[in-house]
Amino acid sequence: MNMKAIMIVFKKELTDLLRDKKTVIVGILIPLIIFPIMFGLIGRSVEGNIKKTSENLKIAIQSQDKSQLAVFLKSQKNITVVDSNDIKKDVQEGKIYVGLIIPQNIEESIKDEKSAEIKIIYDDTSQNSNMACNIIKSLIEEYSKEIVKSRLMSKGIDYSILTPINIKEEIAAKDEGGFGKFMLSLLLPLMLIIYGMTGPMAAATDLGAGEKERGTLEPLLTTQAGRMSLLFGKLLSITVMGFMGTVSSIIGLMIGVKAGGSVFGGDMPLLLSPITVIMIGIFVLLIIMVFGALELSISIYARSFKEAQTYLSPLTIIGMAGAYGTYMIDVKNVSTILFNVPLANVSLIIKEFIIGIYNPLHIGMTFGWNLVYIFLAVLFARYMFSKEEVIFRA
Amino acid sequence: MIEVKGLCKYFKNVKAVDNINFTVSEGEIVGLLGENGAGKTTTLRMIATMLKPTSGTALINGYDLLKEPDKVRSNIGILFGGEAGLYDRLTARENIKYFADLNNMNENESRENIDRLVKMLDMEEYVDRRVGKFSRGMKQKVAIARSIVHNPKVMLFDEPTLGLDVTSSKIVQDFILSCKNENKAIVFSSHSMQEVEKLCDRIVIIHKGKIIEDMRVDDFKGKYGEDFEKAFVGLVGDK
Repeated sequence: MNMKAIMIVFKKELTDLLRDKKTVIVGILIPLIIFPIMFGLIGRSVEGNIKKTSENLKIAIQSQDKSQLAVFLKSQKNITVVDSNDIKKDVQEGKIYVGLIIPQNIEESIKDEKSAEIKIIYDDTSQNSNMACNIIKSLIEEYSKEIVKSRLMSKGIDYSILTPINIKEEIAAKDEGGFGKFMLSLLLPLMLIIYGMTGPMAAATDLGAGEKERGTLEPLLTTQAGRMSLLFGKLLSITVMGFMGTVSSIIGLMIGVKAGGSVFGGDMPLLLSPITVIMIGIFVLLIIMVFGALELSISIYARSFKEAQTYLSPLTIIGMAGAYGTYMIDVKNVSTILFNVPLANVSLIIKEFIIGIYNPLHIGMTFGWNLVYIFLAVLFARYMFSKEEVIFRA
Repeated sequence: MIEVKGLCKYFKNVKAVDNINFTVSEGEIVGLLGENGAGKTTTLRMIATMLKPTSGTALINGYDLLKEPDKVRSNIGILFGGEAGLYDRLTARENIKYFADLNNMNENESRENIDRLVKMLDMEEYVDRRVGKFSRGMKQKVAIARSIVHNPKVMLFDEPTLGLDVTSSKIVQDFILSCKNENKAIVFSSHSMQEVEKLCDRIVIIHKGKIIEDMRVDDFKGKYGEDFEKAFVGLVGDK
């Protein structure tokens, strides 16, 4: 293996890949802009919808004796009471979000200190109707509490008798932004592993099967650069491209979360320290190296670009299984055994970093195992590159 | 210059090349003739160290391909037929320079050689343009320059005019003759009898992995008559 030849191959491959509009667009630009667009649109539309619904709740009230509750609801600024001849039908058709049927004798029941039954008609398949139902229920709850309060007061009893225990919540997390970090610990490992896997794919396809398809591989094999120098030069450029793709995806994701507003927690601070980002970056790089080597091995086996893409797609599913497997695991009570499992260990270590846990044993195990995976993946790539039946498979 | 000694290549149980021996001297063009699947490309790939022989060896400019494959590669240039095999997103100069660098040439050497080849092949106008939109003839010139940029003593041509139009074929044929004038040892594989007759000093006919004839072109004509095609079909058909 010749370092000079490796660097020549690396430099050429990187230039070649960065000049390929398709690779740059698919691998770097799309991940960078797709999340801001997607999250931004979804976030703004959901936020807009929530605002629109909660600011103008269209309801219908069927109350024959003009109850005080109906008056209370009508007095709310965000409620518009509309007339309806058939409440059920109007709710189904979305003309009103919610219908309320207040019984005739409600005022008497309240006066007699009895319970009254109110019927809320809503459509559980409609987001707006569900939201309106919750708002109306909380308003009725508020009204109900007022009644209880006045009943107790008339009997000379303090209202606080109903709340013998008050709960005061205090967050034990070391830093601020605990919820934001929790959300990130769910989302980020999954995304990073998927991008670590898919990031090098386009480059690996181009540098293996693409080289075969273009007829450039054979002339390359007749140069003085040995096969291993060619392989390592290619692996290096695939890793760099994969890393660039992953970084752009993550930047896109972060911008997307911010652009999506409160719907995706974008109003919360991200609170990841530079050290955390670097530590996460190192482990993502390891994943990229493992998958880059595997993808290049598979790609060099394929006869054509198309064939390589077909062979490479199952790899994504395997990777996703590893990432999803740890999705709901709470890293504060995680078993050390799990740090022996490929992909799961990287997912868990990233979760730990986000939460602020730096366990030397877990870091050592994950790092060590991933070095082993890289070694095995490179060994496999080396085997494939030295096999005549693979290189000249046509 | 080239000394092939008992080369054999088996792919599983198939004998692709079966104990072949031939030599090529400096300034000599040897035509490797055979039908598709006869073993021509496998032979050239073994000489170029791309494939490992099952047994036998070859000496290229004195270097044994089994013992010193790097030295062998520094002494050979190879030009393939069909697609030129260039990097479309690199310029013609970058394509040639990549191969000069991979063949351990220093900056000055490669610059001088590239400039000389650009002039020789009349590529000044487009050498700094990306090759993606080049015509077949332009691409062929770049491939030629790439194959010879490191001044190899031995040239291997594997059906280099395959799929080329008349003008592009002429460029390749002229290049082969210029290599002969530079005293290089040349192996030229083809199944075009006319081309072989026109360019080669000697022909080696290979059939089902074995050499069935190896003689000078003049002697071949004397033995089998002027009609090359008829002679070839007769020879191959008999076996």
